[in-house]
Amino acid sequence: MRIIIESPQPNDEDVVIVRCASPDQRLISMLLSYQTVNTEITGYLDDKIVRLNYQDVFYFEANENRVFAYYHSEVYEVKYKLYELEELFMPLDFVRCSKSMIVNMEKIEYLSPLFSGKLEAHLKNGEKVVISRQYVHSLKIRLGIEEVE
Amino acid sequence: MMIKEFFISLLHYFVDITTAVLIAAAIYLTFSGQQMESVILWQILFSGFITALPTAILLCFDPKSVKVSLILWVTHFMLIFVITLFLLKMFGWCRITPFSAFLTFLAVVFIYSFTCFVHYLVDRKHTSLMNQQLKKRYAKMEAIQKDSTIQQ
Repeated sequence: MRIIIESPQPNDEDVVIVRCASPDQRLISMLLSYQTVNTEITGYLDDKIVRLNYQDVFYFEANENRVFAYYHSEVYEVKYKLYELEELFMPLDFVRCSKSMIVNMEKIEYLSPLFSGKLEAHLKNGEKVVISRQYVHSLKIRLGIEEVE
Repeated sequence: MMIKEFFISLLHYFVDITTAVLIAAAIYLTFSGQQMESVILWQILFSGFITALPTAILLCFDPKSVKVSLILWVTHFMLIFVITLFLLKMFGWCRITPFSAFLTFLAVVFIYSFTCFVHYLVDRKHTSLMNQQLKKRYAKMEAIQKDSTIQQ
């Protein structure tokens, strides 16, 4: 299957055209989630209010009942619960890596094993986050190594 | 899901620990020249299961700090050591003396290191596969972005 992305003329609306023999459920679900998903959330840093784009978020972390979005070097507080962010960004490339963290898969440079059975994700900004054993399975599913049960 | 993972961990650790105990027993029997009855095989299987149980339970915890994690692992190691001493006494494998306790400590260190190493190797293999998939994803996305640039 080829994927072609064309830029529309200025002032034209974005249109997604799918040319295929029979669209399956997976394709329709993907398109619907793309259409409905909210890709921007509000972040707070001191007295600044910023619109955060999911593509720039490296990971979300919950700490003492507060949730933070980690950019390359800045950290913004967001007024969402972690499970809400998980639901919101599930169709995108975010994956739960521990009870208190959701990581953007696109920001993972590579993974390495730890002796405790956990994995360590080396992010593109040089940070390292730990992936708990319980969540390794879901990461494998997202990478297409294991199947959904 | 958690229950299934628990039983999978239990099975993996049971197999690894039993293998390590068999190696340790084989080395000991070879050098000591002792003869053992067949019941020892059941005793080894039982000790493998009993020591795998706290390991599988430990892995259900997900400590946030390194300090708590370290405390858990040290407690776990000490628990395994005490269980092993208890099993030695229960099965009458040897008398508990300071020297035999020291040898048991070394055997537990060997079995512990062996199990951790085997699991590390398995994880490393899985991680390598996951890294390959990540690379494929990035390559696909780069190709799409390149195509998109050409179409413009």
